[in-house]
Amino acid sequence: MEVFNIENLTFKYPTKEKAALTDITLQIDKGEFILLCGQSGCGKTTLIKHLKPSLTPHGQTQGNIFYKSTNIKQVSTREDASEIGYVLQNPDNQIVTDKVWHELAFGLENLGIDKQQIRLRVAEMANFFGIQNWFYNDTASLSGGQKQLLNLASIIVMGVEVLILDEPTSQLDPISAVDFLETLKKINDELGITIILTEHRLEEVFKLVDKVIVMQDSKILFYDTPHNVCKNLIETQHPMANAMPTPARIAAALTHEELPFTIKSGRNLLYKLIGSTNILADNLIEKPIDTNFNILTLKDVFFRYTKDGNDILKGLSINVAQGEIYAILGGNGTGKSTLLNVIAKNLRPYRGKIKSSTKSIALLPQDPQVMFIKDTVSEELANNEISKLLNISHLLNFHPFDLSGGEQQKVALAKILLSNPDILLLDEPTKGLDCYFKAELAQILASLNKTIILVSHDIEFCAKYASRCGLYFDGQIISEGPPREFFSNNYFYTTSASRMCRHIISNAVTVKEVIETCQNQLK
Amino acid sequence: MIRCYFSDYHPIVLFIYFISVISFAIFLMHPVCLLISISAAISYLALLRIKKYMLAIFLIISIINPLFNHAGVTILFYLPTGNPFTLESLLYGIATSFMIITVIAWFCCYNKVVTSDKLLYLFGKLLPQLSLIISMVLRLIPLYKIRFNKIMHANPSDNAFKTAALVVSIMVTWSMETAIDTADSMKARGYGLPNRTTFSNYKLTTRDIVVSIGLVVMSGYLICSNKLAVTYIPIFNYTQSLPDFIIYTILCYTPIILSIMEELKWKYLISKI
Repeated sequence: MEVFNIENLTFKYPTKEKAALTDITLQIDKGEFILLCGQSGCGKTTLIKHLKPSLTPHGQTQGNIFYKSTNIKQVSTREDASEIGYVLQNPDNQIVTDKVWHELAFGLENLGIDKQQIRLRVAEMANFFGIQNWFYNDTASLSGGQKQLLNLASIIVMGVEVLILDEPTSQLDPISAVDFLETLKKINDELGITIILTEHRLEEVFKLVDKVIVMQDSKILFYDTPHNVCKNLIETQHPMANAMPTPARIAAALTHEELPFTIKSGRNLLYKLIGSTNILADNLIEKPIDTNFNILTLKDVFFRYTKDGNDILKGLSINVAQGEIYAILGGNGTGKSTLLNVIAKNLRPYRGKIKSSTKSIALLPQDPQVMFIKDTVSEELANNEISKLLNISHLLNFHPFDLSGGEQQKVALAKILLSNPDILLLDEPTKGLDCYFKAELAQILASLNKTIILVSHDIEFCAKYASRCGLYFDGQIISEGPPREFFSNNYFYTTSASRMCRHIISNAVTVKEVIETCQNQLK
Repeated sequence: MIRCYFSDYHPIVLFIYFISVISFAIFLMHPVCLLISISAAISYLALLRIKKYMLAIFLIISIINPLFNHAGVTILFYLPTGNPFTLESLLYGIATSFMIITVIAWFCCYNKVVTSDKLLYLFGKLLPQLSLIISMVLRLIPLYKIRFNKIMHANPSDNAFKTAALVVSIMVTWSMETAIDTADSMKARGYGLPNRTTFSNYKLTTRDIVVSIGLVVMSGYLICSNKLAVTYIPIFNYTQSLPDFIIYTILCYTPIILSIMEELKWKYLISKI
């Protein structure tokens, strides 16, 4: 039985020329777990907002949407609230109350459910999601992952039949993101709730979902099983093929068998193809970086926020060479951003030396919003050369807050570049970006010819584009090296490709390297 | 150290307790009552591990009152201005300062025990909309604090005024922008439907009812008996009644008595294992 039946839906925003949705016809069955993906701005969010009447944007609409065979326009506000759940992108913005328990009860209070019943439902949910240990906490004290889990729980608790999520993990670190996605799978499996999810982290999602919808330019390109969609994207060399799960991309280049989505099945395939010999690919041995000319040196730097507090940086030492892209990887909330602020001289270490041959250091913070003061992008930049370089000339007349996350990131970067700094510090530059924006960002960074230090969770991005990587743990850089050497030395904290070919090809860390080495072997 | 078991009682009990002790502290200016109340308040502060240094207030108010209030029959000496410095007004000053310190001490206890969510629960039924707004404001304060710090870090500047203007401008735009998300999230969860209910975690149990009846009866007795009268000016004069003193002591020491009883019960239960 279908939950949603969309017939020839076309939608245009009042101020825009182009339609945001063009002739969408779609059926979604009860209990399915559906992934909706596509480039930023392709109409994903507009489409899913049409499935939640209270959030449907205003504009010209043609075609019909049926929810459980009633026209969605006839769905009552009560049904809308209690049956169709909607989770937004930013974990912070959608929390309404100050206490975790109150947030869980908020929706039920709105529905006018009596106290005894709320008590029962809230208790059930707290148990299902493992919230009971922080049930009485302030919502402000939670981590990003916990916040998003709370948002999810406070919607499920209303007894929804359909759950719609708009890029729920884009603001989370990789570990919380995977946890969150697995919780969705659990909800789908154990409660039978229909889930419609838009997401950028396709690597982790493809193996979880039943069907995938790919959108492009306001239309539906594919709507099929993950396997067929993945195959189609790779065969047509669609730009999104780069975002497919690593094992599938490697397998597609080597065989015509069924595509694997997990590391485990990917490894089995490699064993079958090239055996279990441990290959050291000669072509991948890299030349060492010339670290003689250091632009920045930190030696035994200690930092803490308050006199009685714990040390955040504990004798950290680092050398950064002129013109390199140095990536600092590491866990969440351990002080990586603090390190950048120390380098930028926003914070002062209480021991240790920082030597740099330049004074012009600029920091791009994690939330680009904190940098926008003016009403338009052009006022913000006051310099059109920069906007050309970053490919944002078409955005000059917009308000910075009206842009997408990726566009905001680029404008903020442009603003930082106005002062023409020698060293550029980037805090989580790829957070919330899709594969298109990541590729573009990498290209921009490479073309700048500046020394760049970036802090990131994004292992795949660092493996591909950094000149050196350092692992930050417990206030120190505990290992560093060029990406290939760095990641092939790590067992767990490494790229999917490297995990997939561990003990098979010992020094390949990117998909391209694995494919090339295998092809050489198969010759 | 004993922990405060009284805080676990139903908010309504806590509220009755604080209403009565604070109003009695203000209206019962009888010296014995002042001593009972201040000793109870200070012991309760200790039980709650709150440290306050209020000696300064005490000294200032005690001395200031006789400097400006010259009524009273027992003249101790004359001030350089020619006005009399009387014993009665000194006593009245001391009593007033005792009273003020006691009330401050009670409010410190109140703050620690009746937390925001308990208060919201108490008044939520009268003003459901207001209680939700307060809850939302309490959610936004820490959020805005974090944002404020982020903005300050991102825009370092030497000019304090310029920075302040900048920070306000970014804060407003950013917060308005995110408020749209919050509004969507509220709408998506049915905010605005008729017949909204209010949920709370508190359950009124037998012990809560027993203790609240006890508190009400004791306060009622003290109000009705009205035997603890005192005048300071022009002549220091007072009445006394032992049962009233005992009942007032029990009333003020209720949290401490309950905590000790609970502690003894634990000791007893553990000793039986």
